[in-house]
Amino acid sequence: MSELAPPAEVVLNMPARAEGVGVVRQALAGMADALAFDAAVLSDMKMAVTEACTNVVVHAYEEQAGQLEVEMLAGEEDLTIVVRDHGAGIQPKPARTGPPALGLGLPLIAALSDAFELRGTAGRGTEVRMTFAYVREEDPAEANPVPGQVGADGRWEPGEPPA
Amino acid sequence: MEANAIVLDDTAGDVIVVVVEGEHDIYTAPTLRERLDEALSHGGGIVVDLTAATFVDSSVLGALLDARRRALESSQGFVVCVGDTVEPGVQRILDITGLVPVLPVMRGRDEAITAARTNGGPDIAAG
Repeated sequence: MSELAPPAEVVLNMPARAEGVGVVRQALAGMADALAFDAAVLSDMKMAVTEACTNVVVHAYEEQAGQLEVEMLAGEEDLTIVVRDHGAGIQPKPARTGPPALGLGLPLIAALSDAFELRGTAGRGTEVRMTFAYVREEDPAEANPVPGQVGADGRWEPGEPPA
Repeated sequence: MEANAIVLDDTAGDVIVVVVEGEHDIYTAPTLRERLDEALSHGGGIVVDLTAATFVDSSVLGALLDARRRALESSQGFVVCVGDTVEPGVQRILDITGLVPVLPVMRGRDEAITAARTNGGPDIAAG
């Protein structure tokens, strides 16, 4: 543990735009520097938080971009990160622009976090709550492998992995 | 020098190498798609070199899979390489999505260029 104790809680609030996702990663890396994170956990955390923020940027709002909120809550043994929007709710909207997403966001979050919870109601926004242990006993990707595969047509097919 | 650059290297002749450096996500994925389109338009093999990439997310994987599909449809070789010192987070997302044998992912750029040159067409998926 570093001598400089990190703040127990950090809150970021910014417009839900693509350029903000890297800023969240930078803030997360800064906070993790002050905590005794295993490098592999930090790497997984950056990926999971990126996917959660990307979901907000791509799916949460209609034409008018809303806010992306990220809370980092440092506990004794783990860091909880909450990514929240005030958009349409848990049922994702199609991407506003650009190619369709692979649908890998939530499966990746499940595989990379030690605990994960999704809360949302129609019209009242969505909250993804992820917890990461500073030191892991086992790899969460073993318990929650990413389902899906690339089909014969070359497109990603979400679903059960091949046996 | 740009920190998160995506540049085309055509020094291998018939195979275009798309060199991806730094962090890439939903913000830079449109640029990556443009570069991949440009590389595909040359008509030869494509290698995407992630050796100097420090972060890639599912938006990047989406761009790579789309480019791979289009390459295979037009019998152009498509190979990703990660070098010997790949960033663990980059290797991690390729591993847990099962994309290493699919894209396919190799180590060295030279090896990848050779594979992209000789393995054009649908049979590449079997490798």
